[in-house]
Amino acid sequence: MNLNVFLSSIRNNPWVTPVTVMALVLGALLAISLKTQQTIRSASLPSNRFSGLAAAYRDQQEQLKMANEEISKLRERTTQYENEMASASEKAKLLNDSLQEAKFLAGLTPVEGPGIEVILQDSKKRPPANSPIDIENYIIHDSDLQRVVNELHAAGAEAVAINGQRIIANTAIRCVGPTVQVNSIALSSPYVIQAIGDPETLASALNLPQGVLADIQALDPNMVKIVKKNKIQIPAYTGSLVFRYAKPVVATPGGSAQEEKENGSR
Amino acid sequence: MNWLPVIALLIGFFVFYFVPLELPSDYAPYLSLATLSGLDSILGGIRAGVEGKFHVDVFVSGFIFNTLLAALLAYLGDQIGVDLFLAAVVTLGGRMFLNLSLIRRYYLTQWNISRQRDTERT
Repeated sequence: MNLNVFLSSIRNNPWVTPVTVMALVLGALLAISLKTQQTIRSASLPSNRFSGLAAAYRDQQEQLKMANEEISKLRERTTQYENEMASASEKAKLLNDSLQEAKFLAGLTPVEGPGIEVILQDSKKRPPANSPIDIENYIIHDSDLQRVVNELHAAGAEAVAINGQRIIANTAIRCVGPTVQVNSIALSSPYVIQAIGDPETLASALNLPQGVLADIQALDPNMVKIVKKNKIQIPAYTGSLVFRYAKPVVATPGGSAQEEKENGSR
Repeated sequence: MNWLPVIALLIGFFVFYFVPLELPSDYAPYLSLATLSGLDSILGGIRAGVEGKFHVDVFVSGFIFNTLLAALLAYLGDQIGVDLFLAAVVTLGGRMFLNLSLIRRYYLTQWNISRQRDTERT
């Protein structure tokens, strides 16, 4: 194909020149379009993947729940093994008794006993128009839960759980977006706080005038419900218990170990 | 066959592919519609050309008005929450198939005629 073929085709067909110019423009448009789409694809998530990601998120949550159930099952089995081993000798039995006590105190065993159930839920009411009260006051916040748990502990509660999440020594109660996380598990209203202790003492501690619940009860009494119960079951803590920094200090009865060390260095 | 438009297309593509020019991604849908409209215009132009009905004014104004209408539909669709640009995509896409089939028929007929002439000659 030489130049003459092109020239003759232009002469014979009047449409070739405009179409060629348009083809040049189209090529440019295609190139820019392609580049822009590539940038979009690399910069952001395509919207057609949102549903897939949502499904994956649900799957992960489901798996987390199952894993937590497995943890509690395995911990129960460990307790069984410990008990079985203890039946072998008197010494082992003594050791096991103190081990079980430590686990009980740490919140690693389910417990039951008399206590109260406090149900806190977001109000269905809205502040009246032109009211100075913010709508924020009509929802239950992490601080409300913290104050109630604190008050229950102060009134002698021996075990506390929020929506089945056991409160242990290093439990954090914090606000994350629209949910409150307890033990890093997202919970939402209504919050059921279970506490084992003397029901009368616990209930009256929460009902003190100007007490922890006075503010929200004044806004909407329906936000708080306190039920005394003869028997409450509180589940064990199922989260992870990894201590990376804290190390137990080795007990030194009578300071003998320290003395020995000093003797050795002398 | 005329290979000039194809060559021009490739030149335009590669020149602008390596030129660091990019539009903000907000305009990406409009750019895509303009590309589609351009593709439709070219196929329409070739078809008119082979049928001997080609007019430069129709060709150029067709491209401009199709692009404008497609962009307007896309914008309106954005505002009222309906994917109106699909109307442009379907119409232009359908027409491209129609034009392409007519062009194909024209060149097939020509090819058949020239082959018959060759056999008659021998």
